[in-house]
Parts: sequence; structure tokens; C-alpha cells
Amino acid sequence: MGVGPSTKETTLHHFRDPLLDVVSKDEDIDLVGVMIVGTPQENEDKYFVGKLAAQWCEAMRVDGVLISVDGWGNSHVDFANTIEEIGKRGIPVVGLSFVGTQAQFVVKNQYMDTIVDFNKSKEGIETEVVGENNVTEIDAKKALAFLKLKMKRGGLK
Amino acid sequence: MEERVLRRLVIKSFHINDVKFSEKTFIDIQNRTLYLRKNCIEEFISNEEDIKQAKLSIIPKDGRDIFVNSILDFSPIATKVLGRLGEGITHVLTGVCGMLTAVDEEGVQVAEFGSSEGILSQQVYFNRAGTPKDDDIIIHVDITLKKGMGTVRKGPTACHRVFDKVIQEIRNVLKKVNGRLCDERHEFIDSIKPLKKKVVIIKQVAGQGAMYDTLFLPNEPGGFEGGRSIIDVGNVPIILSPNEFRDGALRAMH
Repeated sequence: MGVGPSTKETTLHHFRDPLLDVVSKDEDIDLVGVMIVGTPQENEDKYFVGKLAAQWCEAMRVDGVLISVDGWGNSHVDFANTIEEIGKRGIPVVGLSFVGTQAQFVVKNQYMDTIVDFNKSKEGIETEVVGENNVTEIDAKKALAFLKLKMKRGGLK
Repeated sequence: MEERVLRRLVIKSFHINDVKFSEKTFIDIQNRTLYLRKNCIEEFISNEEDIKQAKLSIIPKDGRDIFVNSILDFSPIATKVLGRLGEGITHVLTGVCGMLTAVDEEGVQVAEFGSSEGILSQQVYFNRAGTPKDDDIIIHVDITLKKGMGTVRKGPTACHRVFDKVIQEIRNVLKKVNGRLCDERHEFIDSIKPLKKKVVIIKQVAGQGAMYDTLFLPNEPGGFEGGRSIIDVGNVPIILSPNEFRDGALRAMH
């Protein structure tokens, strides 16, 4: 399990990424950068890179994190773990993922309370139609609005 | 405290209305026509031992009711004119984009987690960020790999390498187009905004193996050459500037 045709982000998607577009245009946000983290095969490696990603967030002293994934199933193990590592550090985090009916999270944790599901198919499934279940401008705006709320409330309780 | 400007990226777009095969590759900017060297693909696959054959075609906007093999990627046609990725000037063609499809010689689709072969008009949700617009012309590269090569990492990698050479053929002439003739000019600034909420975007990308690779920081926007594989760097987190990302720092190697 990994990245299917309808959820995968093509090179063209990255080139005109709606998430980057929305966040970088927002006058209230200082976008410090875009972090790329891979999805290794082995579970041990998944935890390793997830922790490193969270460590970066802590070191950069960011007020909030938006994390997006274009795969599901096995890729959700990485996704959940990285969110947990970030959340544990008291940093507000909002996720974006395809969930629908087919891709319910295999693992969950308390920090996954604000996930934007960018499923667009009627049945909530991987339709094998390229681009169908992709992040759009509305999803990005929703995610940023969630994050702003979370940041307002503060991270560490 | 004032905003501090770090770097500037200018993206100039040139709109294309027609793509035709020709003896050599060039852009007739007055007539908004791209001419593509007809047999270039033969040359590009000559050293590829895992590729059996490749076909280059032009799909007009009303010609999408055709069968295509599983879609590996859609690619922008963009090139650096000045500076490195994330700063300087980039030229991009609008009205046209690239599409890569692949299959192996036994008819096995090059795909892993579901495949997208079928009638093009039905297999793509058009007008998304990552797919062509309704009236885009598609430059289609279809590759037939040798038996079994679709499931090992070097098979799909070879497909992307050849596809990128076709795009590079266009990039080389796009670089030389007079920037003053662009249709649109967009300026993007990487800046530090003190006192604003600091946010980082994390993109979790594929890095498991064959059909699950991601390249970052290629020589050209959305390109293949010069790109580092996220698998090869151990999938560890990499930080890119917003402008690097916007300038095509990632290539999806699905």
C-alpha cells in the first residue's frame, strides 16, 4: 500500500502546489520553508525519520506545522507517527490526507484531531482517476484556518 | 519590524496554442506554436537497455478519447534562464504539458498501488493543480519497458530519464525566447516576516523503492537530471525554501 493514481501528486502538482500557494500568500504567516520527508519501507526507519522531522520543527521554533501526505495505508503509519512526534513537542499541527471510506487511519493518536480529508470521490475510494483525490485550494484554506485556530489556543497545555 | 527580503524569483509564462512535429525543435512565439523534432525519442532511448521502445505523440485538446497506458506523471515545461532553482528567472510554457505513460512488453502496466490505464478522458480529473487543463495540448511519451522492468527501481527511473530528455529538448529553446514577449510575469519573494506566526509545511513523499521515489533539486524546474533521490539520502527530512519548491524542486517518481 502506498500512493495510488487518484491521490498521487504529480510533478506538475508540486510545481503549482495549492498548499504552498495559499500559505505563502497569507499576510499573517511567516512561511519558514517546505520540509520534504520520505516514507521508508521499514517501520524502524519510519519512526527514525518522523522523529527527525519533529526535531527540525522544534529547532526552527515554529508556531505551527501543516503536514500533507499523498499516500495512505502503510504511509499513514509514517504520517501518524510524525504528527505524534510534533504534537508531543507542544507544536500545533494540522494534517492533510486522503481518508474517505477506504483509507481510514490504521493508527491514530491524540494529536490527529484536525485532519483535512481531501477525498473528492463520491464513494470515498481510490478511483484510479489521476488527480481526483488531490489537495485543492479549498483544502489548503481549510487546513490553514484550522492551524490558525490551534495556534491561537497555543501548543503546550 | 519590517519584512526582510531574502530572494526573488520571477516566472514568465508564454502561451502556446499549437504543437507540431518538425525537422527541428523551435518556438514560433508570434504564432504561439511549438515545433518538436519528430524523431528525437529514438535518439534518447538508444542507450537505454531496459527500454524496448518509446513513442512520442501530440494529443490535441479534443483528442483525449484514446487509450493510454498507466500514467506515471504530468510535467510542466519550464526552464531556468537566470540563476539556480528558487531564484532568478524561469520561463514556462502554458497551454501545453508533458505526460508520461508506461507498460512492459508483456502488457504489465508500470504501476504499483492501482494503475490508471484506460481512456485518457476518463482516467484523468482535468483542471487540477497536477493535471492538464481542458484546453491544454499534451506532449505524450509512452514507453514500453522490457519484460519485468516495471517492478524494479531502474525501470521507472529510465522512463523518467527519457521523458525528461524530451522536455529538455523544449527547455533548450524556451531558454532563448525573449523574456519581454511573455504573456504573464509573476514575482515571488522569499522573505522573513517578523512577529508573524512561523509555519513550516511538511510534505511526506514516496521513498519506499520502485515506483515510490521522489527527486529533489534537479537542474531544471520539475526535471530529472541533477535531482537527488529521497531514497538515496535515507528519507531524512530536507528543507527547501518556498521559492525552491515553487520553482519545481520536486519530481514525483511514481
